[in-house]
Amino acid sequence: MSKYVFDLERSAKGLRLNRFLNGLSKAEQRKRFLENPGEAMKGLTDEEQAMVLRLDWKALQDYGASFFCLEKLARTKGVSNPEMVAAFRGETLEQFLRTRRVPGAR
Amino acid sequence: MARIIGGIGTSHVPTIAMAYDRGKQDDPDWKPLFKGYEPVAKWLAEKKPDVLFVCFNDHATTFFFDHYPTFALGVSAEYPIADEGTGVRKIPPLKGHAALSRHIARSLVADEFDISVFQDLPLDHGVHSPLTMMWPTSPDWPGAVIPLVVNVVQQPLPKPKRCFALGKAIRRAIESYPEDLKVAMVGTGGLSHQMIGERAGFNDEKWDREFLDLIERDPERLAGMTVEEFMQKGGNEGAEVIMWLIMRGALAPHAKKLHQNYYLPMTTAMAVALFE
Repeated sequence: MSKYVFDLERSAKGLRLNRFLNGLSKAEQRKRFLENPGEAMKGLTDEEQAMVLRLDWKALQDYGASFFCLEKLARTKGVSNPEMVAAFRGETLEQFLRTRRVPGAR
Repeated sequence: MARIIGGIGTSHVPTIAMAYDRGKQDDPDWKPLFKGYEPVAKWLAEKKPDVLFVCFNDHATTFFFDHYPTFALGVSAEYPIADEGTGVRKIPPLKGHAALSRHIARSLVADEFDISVFQDLPLDHGVHSPLTMMWPTSPDWPGAVIPLVVNVVQQPLPKPKRCFALGKAIRRAIESYPEDLKVAMVGTGGLSHQMIGERAGFNDEKWDREFLDLIERDPERLAGMTVEEFMQKGGNEGAEVIMWLIMRGALAPHAKKLHQNYYLPMTTAMAVALFE
């Protein structure tokens, strides 16, 4: 079983970060974040802010971010799910797409 | 009396909605997917159900982990489309059927399924990414939707057996509604995929095809599996196919599969199946 299973322990650890990410489903929050990320992320720790700014998908996931909350950040920054999945696998997007049946379907 | 005229199992991958919204119907990379939905769209156009009862999950869009319900039933007359980070899709808000959904809520609780209920909340791609593949949106949706939100996101998830039993209770609820209404069940999710961890990108077509066989022929066997087995066989996120068991539980035990399509282009196996 994967250690990344989103259980109540991970949910508690990632709650503050996930709440921020979930907030990006609101247009005004996205605008705030894109214009002034520091201000928009005020409630997060320095470590959390740094991972978000770097779009370090693997680190965010390891820390306790829910994949579905990360999707909100990805959409805000114009990043696709295959790009995130590639990052989790430690691959480039091109490497990951070579493992897929229809690389253009994205 | 209201009756269940059939059921649909379908993936609810967000890229299905993206492909639809970008008009990829004739793009060779997407055509096999769109073709696969045509018989389902035709069946719906011919049978004209008044209501689609849709079992799906919210993707931490409308519901958040400060209060994540296991089973939540929508009971309002309309549901807005949710913004998931790219603005709201240009499709009409979903119409609900408040009277039938209130009846179902009362019937389920009387039947000892202590669901929560919600009103007015926006619904995400879990419900409308498959919906635009099979129901027209212009000038408006042809019928109403009753949304059942299932927690397949935060462990512990409901047991597959409980999902199947809930489906049976939904059948009792619908069949005890006095008005003549035609209802079709929709179970969404899957098939095999894993979005997280080192096993991200995992699929298993062999298991998917076995699942598509068993959901018709021997759903009890699927209902007897654990969530962990579903995760092992179909990937962490693939375990969401337990929502197909709610749909299947609400159908007649001898229901037959009329059509199925399977397409695995990228990270998630996209399937649709029609039962009557």
